[in-house]
Amino acid sequence: METAKENLQTEEFWVNMGPQHPSTHGVLYVELKLSGETVVDCIINIGYLHRGIEKIAENRTYTQFMPFTDRLDYVASMTNNLGYVLAVEKSMKTEVNDRAKYIRVIIAELQRVASHLVGITTFVQDLGAFATPLFYGFREREKIIEFFDELCGNRLTYNYMRIGGVQFDLPKGTDEKIKYIVKYMRPKIDDLESLFSSNAIFTARTKGIGVLSKEKAINYSVTGPNLRASGVKWDLRKDEPYLCYDKFNFDIPTGANGDSWDRYKVRIEEMRQSLRIVEQAIGGLPEGDPTVKIGRIIKPEPGEAYMRTEAPRGELGFYVVSDGSTYPYRLKIRSPSFSNLAVLPELVKGMKVADVVCVLGSLDIVMGDIDR
Amino acid sequence: MIKYFKDIITGAWSLIKGLFVTFKNLFSKAVTIQYPTQKLRMVDRYRGLVDLRIEKCIKCHMCVKICPTGCLSLVHKENAEKKKEFEHFKYNMELCCFCGMCDQVCPTQAIYMDKIYEIAVYDRDKITRIDLLNTGKYDEWAHPTVK
Repeated sequence: METAKENLQTEEFWVNMGPQHPSTHGVLYVELKLSGETVVDCIINIGYLHRGIEKIAENRTYTQFMPFTDRLDYVASMTNNLGYVLAVEKSMKTEVNDRAKYIRVIIAELQRVASHLVGITTFVQDLGAFATPLFYGFREREKIIEFFDELCGNRLTYNYMRIGGVQFDLPKGTDEKIKYIVKYMRPKIDDLESLFSSNAIFTARTKGIGVLSKEKAINYSVTGPNLRASGVKWDLRKDEPYLCYDKFNFDIPTGANGDSWDRYKVRIEEMRQSLRIVEQAIGGLPEGDPTVKIGRIIKPEPGEAYMRTEAPRGELGFYVVSDGSTYPYRLKIRSPSFSNLAVLPELVKGMKVADVVCVLGSLDIVMGDIDR
Repeated sequence: MIKYFKDIITGAWSLIKGLFVTFKNLFSKAVTIQYPTQKLRMVDRYRGLVDLRIEKCIKCHMCVKICPTGCLSLVHKENAEKKKEFEHFKYNMELCCFCGMCDQVCPTQAIYMDKIYEIAVYDRDKITRIDLLNTGKYDEWAHPTVK
């Protein structure tokens, strides 16, 4: 037996994961060098969803570019809209009124809950919990999507924020509707958590898998829930408050180990905190007119502005360079998923190939955000 | 050995807990609808196909200028009494991203977005060259709400 083992010739080989792979959340192509079942090397190839959105921005007016931001991170379109309008408003040095700020906060936080529901449930589905948890998550998300539908008339690409305000005021009966959503969502999140956290298979497959240390996370500029899971208490809503986040009480959940389990836990807890913010914001909604006429001619002063916001997946930055015309001279988008994905090779080296899917799912990437 | 039995117990317990959630959902109301026979009412702000109230249009070209994808094309001429008249007003639905900016920018609410969402055609030209001046252009598709 021993001699037979010694005579066996082993060879490392490459396996292509993607571009069409169900658990890469889009068209991601990962080349894996395997020795048996262990990952030796990992190369990420991106670009299959590249649409040249940054270049498109240079040929569109500031208003016209709004629908394109919906198509970046299509799971959380509202926060993309928000990041863009805040960047342009910063370059124009304008402020929106209080009601618009509150509405933006409510919308952004509801979007965060919807996005995390998709993130967590698709992650669990990747680990083999086929379809059922995904449908639970999507059913809960549907409540929020229905509200957005009523608010702006679309379910995925909202195009709701406007430079200087929002497109529509909240429709009639929104107070009750949002209060209902918050009331409905809390037990459902508990349900989801009890469903996943108590599951022996899920625990075994996530605990200690894909450990991202604090230092490595900072070095790779990982942001969002993935960074907080590694134990770094960094959240732009608290550390660099924009809109009116400084008026609300909420905690920043952090993890201890930085493994896949922590990343999942942080997301669950973040949804609860988001609901807390929504509850406070809808309670103290000021009067006023948040709507703004669509700006046909928007001419920021020549100069540049960089605005970063806390999107569900991390730090979303828009860098706007203006030359005084109605078109942006340059628009750079710093997308959270891009940096979060870059850390993947570090996490999966030395692991079993089945865990690559687990780590990838726990990073919660969206390819539209990465390739732009 | 102890670990072996412990794993079995925790596994069984997680199964029971998971089944409890499933059980709770077993008796809750269905959230889906039987689509072809049962249809949702579109919300008031729903953004469907672009449509035109011809008599209201003042040919100001605002919608054409604001459109991010350039899916509208309007050409007008002036008649003998120096009044603007349509030459053509075409709409390419294939390019349209349903952002609703034309609706919002129109000073006379002439251009607006319909509630039509069941758009399936055999002939591609039917959606790429929609003539907005033709009043019967959307007749073959179902109108969920009154025009």
